[in-house]
Amino acid sequence: MRLTFTVNGRRRGIEVPATTRLIDVLRVHLGMTDTKEGCSEGECGACTVILDGKAVNSCLVLAPQVNGRDVLTVEGLAGDAELTVLQAKFIEHGAIQCGYCTPGMLMSAKALLLHDPDPSETEIRMALAGNICRCTGYTAIVEAVQDAARAGVEQNGPR
Amino acid sequence: MQELRAVGQTYPIHDATEKVTGDLVFGSDLRLPGMMCAKLLLSPFAHALVKSVDAAAAEALHGVVGVFSHLNAPQTPYCRSRLVPGEPLCVEDETLFAATARFVGDRVAAVVAADRETAAEALRLIEVDYEPLPPVLTAKAALAAGATPIHDGGNLVYEYDRELGVALPSRPDTLSTVTTVATQKLHHAALEPHVCLADYDRSGTLTIWTPSQGVYGVRTVVADLLGLSYSRVRVIKVPVGGSFGGKQEFILEPVTAFLALRTGRPVRLTLDREQCIVATTTRPATTSTMRTVVDSDGMLLDVEVDTVLDAGAYSGSSPEYALMMAHKLTRLYRAPHYRHRGRAVYTTTPVAGGFRGWGAPETVTSVEIHLDHVARRLRMDPVELRLRNLVSPGDIDPATGMSLGDARIRQCLESGAQAFGWSRRFSRVVETGRLRRGVGVACGGHYNGLLGEASSESSTMTLKMNEDGSVDLNASLHEVGCGSGTAMRIIIAEELGVDWERITTREADSEATPYDIGCYASRMIYVCGAGARATAAELKERLVQAASRLLDLPAASLRVGPGRVEVADEPGHGLTYAEIVRGIRVRDGHDMIVTHTYCNRSNPGSYSAQFAEVEVDVLTGLVRVTDFLAIADVGRAINRGMVEGQYRGAVQMGIGYALCEEVALDDQGRPRPGGFKNYHLVNAPDMPDVAVLLVEHEGDEGPYGAKSVGEIATVPTAAAVINALNDALGTSITTLPATPERVLAAIAELDSAGQRQTRSARRGPTCD
Repeated sequence: MRLTFTVNGRRRGIEVPATTRLIDVLRVHLGMTDTKEGCSEGECGACTVILDGKAVNSCLVLAPQVNGRDVLTVEGLAGDAELTVLQAKFIEHGAIQCGYCTPGMLMSAKALLLHDPDPSETEIRMALAGNICRCTGYTAIVEAVQDAARAGVEQNGPR
Repeated sequence: MQELRAVGQTYPIHDATEKVTGDLVFGSDLRLPGMMCAKLLLSPFAHALVKSVDAAAAEALHGVVGVFSHLNAPQTPYCRSRLVPGEPLCVEDETLFAATARFVGDRVAAVVAADRETAAEALRLIEVDYEPLPPVLTAKAALAAGATPIHDGGNLVYEYDRELGVALPSRPDTLSTVTTVATQKLHHAALEPHVCLADYDRSGTLTIWTPSQGVYGVRTVVADLLGLSYSRVRVIKVPVGGSFGGKQEFILEPVTAFLALRTGRPVRLTLDREQCIVATTTRPATTSTMRTVVDSDGMLLDVEVDTVLDAGAYSGSSPEYALMMAHKLTRLYRAPHYRHRGRAVYTTTPVAGGFRGWGAPETVTSVEIHLDHVARRLRMDPVELRLRNLVSPGDIDPATGMSLGDARIRQCLESGAQAFGWSRRFSRVVETGRLRRGVGVACGGHYNGLLGEASSESSTMTLKMNEDGSVDLNASLHEVGCGSGTAMRIIIAEELGVDWERITTREADSEATPYDIGCYASRMIYVCGAGARATAAELKERLVQAASRLLDLPAASLRVGPGRVEVADEPGHGLTYAEIVRGIRVRDGHDMIVTHTYCNRSNPGSYSAQFAEVEVDVLTGLVRVTDFLAIADVGRAINRGMVEGQYRGAVQMGIGYALCEEVALDDQGRPRPGGFKNYHLVNAPDMPDVAVLLVEHEGDEGPYGAKSVGEIATVPTAAAVINALNDALGTSITTLPATPERVLAAIAELDSAGQRQTRSARRGPTCD
């Protein structure tokens, strides 16, 4: 099929089999390896991207489902500009250890803040429920998201 | 303690920026020109002869460059956990491809193809004729008379009988208690699935890119297996997306190297999650029966343990792992007489291997659950019982004959009991409603390096200062997400008085970085960190000597300030490091570079006391951890935030060990289908607040007194949770994980025994 969609603000058009998963569209067909694959069944959240403002597991989305739509991956957060507040808070709070869950965590957190700029700790934890981290015990990640929300700029920050 | 400038602050992991932007290139992101994709065909049977492999259809598929099985690959046996040539306790019983499949997940064949889809299609076209053999699914079954032998020579891989001290004559006023604790196979669950790349080029060099904990061990195993010179096998460590021991043994490297060598193409082999769970390594399942004798004051008189460790289908590291289980208890408790008998046993199940804590979580879980039973029988506060028996600073570990150093476990336990409000919470009114709270405590001890187990241990590093005063460390670092690269920079920054961001570290590359055994045995900070400090101190001395020549003043008249060498009596008169490096190069042609081999001489204990509160729903059997406190005897925190982060992550892992994680097999040895779908990890909503308090005393030889963190952090967690669960219910659960089914069964057993009424009488005096 001919797939036309927007990735990180850029229009892309490629020819892919209709059974291609979004994660393979990104990683294999477009060579964008910023999105990570951890379980291939929507359980770990490492491959989370934002599709039209909502966090999705890109391993569970097929190419036709993104046709004409808008995808944001972690490398689109900052683009060539400075890090977003959310990314900077992840670094500042030590929310990153091995870093393999980090792209997915950031995208789930970003999707949350898009819809709720002032979430409670419980709401943050629920929004990250589908993202597994084996290194940090989550505390630093939750604190980073809280702090980014407090900074209050993610809502209007760069898409 | 000494006032420090750089050490003890909080720093991000060195590659944090690349990680938040997605720029960091992990193994699965690497693409080599002309790279092929490899996929493995794994055995669907727990035990079967691989009679024939018909690969004709697969080989005929367009894009397939090779299909390999035991029929066209060498059958040379090897041991996946051999770090150094001639290492003892390494049983060579594994081959690249199985002629006899010994577990569901054993490597039967591999396909090398142009892309993943073609490789997957080719796998489906391979026809294997299996002749099933009887599966042997538990260590008990494997040891039974007449059990089917899994390897020539039977099912007993390794056996030991350690006896330390002298048994005391029995006395009438003593209490003897026996407990059997069973722990399960765990998946490391590093978020990054296993991956390896290899390329054999025309110059005859085999290059391997792998997220490994030890590049020199990879080199040893691969070169020995494939008959290559050590200098022709280059192993490059790539970023590790979590390991926890899962990437410390050489699982994919031998087969990937073989595929590259045989096809002449660069090859990348990636496992999916389901394959990672069954076909890498697991924490070994263990059963330990422990008998202790205590006097009426709760003093341990005698400890006897009998452990059976399920090694799975190949021995891997299990002999050493089993032996290490006998070397953990005496790091924690004084026992006049301690006897530990252990056996590692083959079964037709996934292969056991190194896992965070290396026997300590298994042994400590058994000991700590057992001690709560003893405390209950003595009607003694569990904290008090432990305080009467824990080791003290300067104690000698009878297992190694070495000092435990500044062992601060008593301080951990006492300060933790205070901070947790243990006395008040333990002596609360027992709840009788649907939701019941309980509290539990456990202590753990661990190592700082290999010394005592190995006869010597060292690390070699080269440190170079550039003409602008920036510093490059060349060392075989294996950063696995614990911040070892950052830690080395902090230590060097402290020693030299330069900013940590002006120091660059590289990671292990067997062609370019000096020998270091790797990220094993909690040795990174204590051994490599001390090596980094010693190397920096030597460089500092060279800077002073060079300044002495440049200033034409005796070295004794100079002192080192931050980033400069100055005249002691004339502050302000001196040279910056950059001026010294430039000056001495111009004047004498000297380079500012040192290579230092640090030999470690000690192995103190690292300790942790942990306190858990749980809430149990007696209707559903669900257990929720509602509060958690970890006290960490770290000597000195190098990177404070990273210490706390590692502790919190370790508690996540330990709660999973206690309550929900298990590589479970059915009666044919088949794992549950799916990957994480049926392997439950604690997620953000289910994690309690974990408070981490550090005991810093700087009494050992690590850099600035620092001791290990990563492994000890998870050692007591599961026991603390299980003890809290048993406290909530009055049960004696000793089988992990305490799933809702097991919790409900324990409650039912208690009800039928009518013991609930007697529970309120169990509490004795308490202490804080």
